[in-house]
Parts: sequence; structure tokens; C-alpha cells
Amino acid sequence: MRTALTLAATKATGAATRFLGRGGGTALPGLMAERFDPNLASKLAASLPNGVILVTGTNGKTTTTKLLAAALEAKGERVLTNQAGSNLKRGVVSTLIKASNLRGRTTATMGLFEVDEASLRLVAPLLQPRQIIVLNLFRDQLDRYGELDTTARLIGEGIAATKAKLILNADDPLVASLASYAEDPDNVSYFGIEGLPADLATADRSVADSDRCPICNERLSFSRVFYSHLGHYRCPKKHFDRPQPVIAMTRLDKADATGTGFEVSVAGKRHQASITLPGVYNLYNALAALASATAAGVSLETSLKSFSSTTAAFGRVETIDWRGRKLLMLLIKNPTGATQVIETFIVRAKAPKVLIAINDNYADGRDVSWLWDVPFERLAGSKAELIASGLRADDMKLRLHYGGLDSHLEPELADALDRLVTELAAGETGYILPTYTAMLALRKLIGKETALSEVKV
Amino acid sequence: MSNKVVIAHLYPREMNIYGDAGNLLTLLKRLEWRGYEAEIRTVEIGQPFDFSGVDIIFGGGGQDRGQLIVGEDLLERGDAIRKAAADGVPMLLVCGLYQLFGRAFITSEGQELPGLGIFRATTEGAKQRMIGNIVVESPFGRLVGFENHSGATLLEPEQMPLGKVVKGYGNDPKSKHEGAITNNVIGTYLHGPILPKNPVLADHLLLTALQRRDKQAKLVALDDKLELAAARTAANRPQ
Repeated sequence: MRTALTLAATKATGAATRFLGRGGGTALPGLMAERFDPNLASKLAASLPNGVILVTGTNGKTTTTKLLAAALEAKGERVLTNQAGSNLKRGVVSTLIKASNLRGRTTATMGLFEVDEASLRLVAPLLQPRQIIVLNLFRDQLDRYGELDTTARLIGEGIAATKAKLILNADDPLVASLASYAEDPDNVSYFGIEGLPADLATADRSVADSDRCPICNERLSFSRVFYSHLGHYRCPKKHFDRPQPVIAMTRLDKADATGTGFEVSVAGKRHQASITLPGVYNLYNALAALASATAAGVSLETSLKSFSSTTAAFGRVETIDWRGRKLLMLLIKNPTGATQVIETFIVRAKAPKVLIAINDNYADGRDVSWLWDVPFERLAGSKAELIASGLRADDMKLRLHYGGLDSHLEPELADALDRLVTELAAGETGYILPTYTAMLALRKLIGKETALSEVKV
Repeated sequence: MSNKVVIAHLYPREMNIYGDAGNLLTLLKRLEWRGYEAEIRTVEIGQPFDFSGVDIIFGGGGQDRGQLIVGEDLLERGDAIRKAAADGVPMLLVCGLYQLFGRAFITSEGQELPGLGIFRATTEGAKQRMIGNIVVESPFGRLVGFENHSGATLLEPEQMPLGKVVKGYGNDPKSKHEGAITNNVIGTYLHGPILPKNPVLADHLLLTALQRRDKQAKLVALDDKLELAAARTAANRPQ
């Protein structure tokens, strides 16, 4: 009875907010539910017959969720997922409420939610997931979370409040160390990369975020580095070694802007795989999704087949045809992600035309100092045409100026977009590197003229 | 004498968050644009370092884990750094290293870690994290930046602050003081990073360094239009 009443009241709130045009109506039902029946989300989650999977980490949550949902759906699951912008506790709770009828039932068989790193501590105890995936931990919007070690501890607290199987990145020392929070340390699956061709591993480690032993604080010794602090490491005092991944990329066959072909080893057996997502960072997302899907009972063939046709999540690596030009939207939000985008796409392009749009709204993180940790200097000599835009266009222009790069200043996103398109020849690709809210605003501008897959935020 | 300006960078591997490396880039570029050569020498934990040929010392902030290890190593170099400070070498210390240049850092568990004692200041771990855009009135004009710290730094009465907080927290939630300045040694909580958007401060460090060699040294004025535009934008953003 209480469930039905709370659901009726909160669903009405969601509808009313949407009707009144105040945002997507996503967070408010969650807020209402917390007031009326704090156990509502737990009850709804418990009603999903095949349980809940949570995805967290600094970079790749949205893409991994999309890949994993495709694999689970290919197996026949009906998967309930949240939108990228709704990954705080309220957003997850609201997603559950919206999908439920008044009896607290949904047609979904599974819940798959991406969860903000600092919110896992609140969401995990509530939903009691069967699996928790932790992708990586990089510096990101530190103005909200404090420091990386703090973020890891918060995730650990979330893990410790569940009996979930952990899917952890073996190549990220701080993530791998989270196994110590698991109720059963054997209930952990690691994924990782065994080796990369030299030209794909980023040599620059100036932005390595956690390269010390989580136990004794000694600097880890790395035999391989793929990017930032991801690689093969061991503590010189033998406290902590890279765990052996069960799911590992063993050979890279093809890597270009259209995707990656590779060999993956699963419990010792080797298989051919491909994804239509470029970049080493997306390789990790695919390995994480594969590890989780396998643990959820999806056959390897089904997973790999569904991956090969999954496209990127919106704004992550999104190609948009607009006014006869191709626009490639590449979200940037922290130094590691931005460095990967620059290395994967911009450095390899010939005289690329690039719009960089930096906003500092709450959802972007108020602090823009991370721009100085991104090696924009790599674009020197590439003859790149650069446009600086967004609320912090002035900061972006200044950063490029000190990197020896000239740029056009167009603070208004609409003007910047016009300028980019004007500079592009017919059929030429233009690159857009936006922060989160700049990406949403740009999609809105583009969407006025062209149909984009609908995005609710 | 060579016109190469030597900048010592304290612990770049541990104290490297919030884009503080942008401060070094700013010093380098503002020297290069005026025709000076510059060299960065890094101070690493456990490695010998000779501070005697150094013109400027810079150090940034780090995660707590890094700060503990750095603190021990820094103390061993205490005499050399205090001598450089007494000799008038300009220094800029941001956040974590600002704290370690004070008398002591007292952790939230009550553990007292001694500092270099160049600033008459003590930092205590606070419950409230002080985060946001910050604007400060200082002898170098209005300074803008972004602060992100949980340590609250209390200055002794005779310690001069770098400036007065106009917007934001500064050293602690109450005093409205930001940073500290003793002779040519400047400590601050301002990231952003601080120097690109506060070129007057950057040039003060450079001119001080050059005038230690040659009292007549002058800096050619640069066009700081972009720097000041970015500073104006930053000052008007919400905290």
C-alpha cells in the first residue's frame, strides 16, 4: 500500500514537472520518493528478477553501459538503464520509479545503471547490485570530490555495503586495490590489456594520477604503460602486484578512427573481436562490458557480436552530418580523457579544424585548471585551425596561447559552430571537443536543423 | 654571466595537481617572449639538489598521500631553502607546499608534521573543504584563482598575508586572509593556475629574480590582453 501511494505521488510529480517544462522531470520523483518511502528504490530493485549491475569510474561509464546493455539485450534481457546525466542517487531512483507501475512492477528483467563515483556509496547499499564495475580513476572535477584517494575510499564504502561481484580494471592500481573491500575477495573478475604497439601507448606520463603502492606508498615500478597510470605495475616491496586479468586483450589487429579489431583471451581461450569505437580507452570499456556480460551469463559469441554493431554513446564519439559537413563530437571532461581524444583523433588528422568548447557549469565542474594538464602542445605543427568557445572561452584561448597555438575566440557556442562549419569544405570533418554542458547545448543547436537521436537529460 | 634563468620545480611527480604546471609554463613563456633563456631543474625525493644556482623556486599542490612523503624530504633540504629565502630568491608555493613552508601541519587525527617555518603559520586539517572560485585584493592587484583545500592555515599576528579575500575562503573560513608573503617568498591557495591569469604576479617573480643579478634589470611590457580578459571572466563566475 505504501509503495503504491508513494509511486502514485512521485510519478505524478515527474509528469507535472515535465508538463511544466522544468527540465526532464528526472530528479524530482527521486527526491519525493526519499521523503515518502526511503525503501522504495530497494523494493523496486529487488523486484527485478535478474538483479542490478552498477557501472562507475571516471571515464567510460556511459559507453560501457551502452555496450553491456547491448550484450544483455542480445541474450534476451529487458534492461532498464539511466541516462548519462542522471547518475546521482536521485537520478537512479527516479529511473526505477518511472519504469514501475503502481504495483511496483516493471517489465524490465535487469537494472543497469551508471553511477557517479561519489554516489556509489549511497546507491550500492540501496540497490544491492549483483555486480559493480569500476573502470578507472583519474583526476576529474576534483572540486567536487576532493582527491583521488578520497574517491577510491568512497567507492570502497559502496562496495563493502554489498555482496556484489566486482569487475575491476587490473591495469589501474587504485581500482585493482578496491578488491580489498569485497566481501569475498575471490568474487572479483579483472580485465586488462596485455600489450599495445609502441605507437599507441602514450609515452607522456606527466598526467599519471596514481602511481604509488596503495599499501606502502612506494612508487610502483611499471614494466608497461598504456596511458596515464594504466599499465603493468608492481610494488618494489612486493606488497601489491597487477592482478592477472581473466578477460584480456592479447593482440591488437587494427586501430583507426573507425574502430578497433583485437584478440581477446577469456579464461585462457582466444577469440577475435571488434568494436566500432576508436581509441585505447574504448578498448577498456569493451573489456569491462565483456567481463560483466560473461559474469551475467551472456555467451561470448553473443557479447562479441553485439559489440561489433554498437555505436558510441551520444557525444562520446558521435558523427553528425550537418549542412553537408561531418561533425565529430568528442566529449572532454578531464586531463586523461582529453589527452586520449587528442592522441586518438586530432594528432592523427591532417590540418584539422577543431572547436573546443569549455563550460564551467556545476555539471562540468567549476574548476578549469585541468586545461593546463592537457598537452595541447601536441597540436603544434599540425596546422590545426582552433576555435575557443564556451563560458570559459577566454581561459581556453589563453591556454592555447601559452602552448604556442593561435585560435579564434568565439565565446557564444552558436557563433563558434557557424565559424567551424564555414571553415569546413563540403564533406570535410570538423572536430568538436566540448565539456558536458557545452556538448548538450551544441547538440541542441545542431538538433534545430537536423534530426538527432533523442536525448533526455 | 649567462642570461639563462634557472627555475627549481619542487617535487613535480608528487605535487602536480590542478594544473599547477601551468605556472611553470607561464614563467617560461614570459621569459622566452622577452628573449631570455630558461631552464627547469626538478627536485625529486631522495635526489641531491644544489639550490645555489637557482633564480626562482616553484612548488604546487598534491594529494595527501604525496604530501606526507614530500614533507619528510623537504625538511632535509630545510637549511638550503631557508638560506635561499634569506638571500631573496623569489619563490611561489601553492596549496600543499604553501602549507609545508609554514611551521607545522596538524592532521585531522592530531598528528603534527613539522614544516620549514619560513611562514609564521600553522595549518590544521579542517572538516569543511574550501572549494570554489576565489578573488583576492593584494599588493599585486586583484588576483583570481580556484581554491580546493581542507587545510585551514592560521597566520601568526606578525605574518603578512598575501591579500584579503573578496570572494571565496582563502586561508581559513574566518580570517579573510589569503596566502602569506615573507620577503620574496609567496605562499597561496590559488590554483587556476594562478600565474597565467595574474601576469603582474608572474612578472614580479621574474623581475625579482633578474634584479638579484642586475639591479638595473627591467622587463619589457607584454600585451596582457588575453590574460586580463580570462581574469575578468574568472572573477565574474559563481563561487
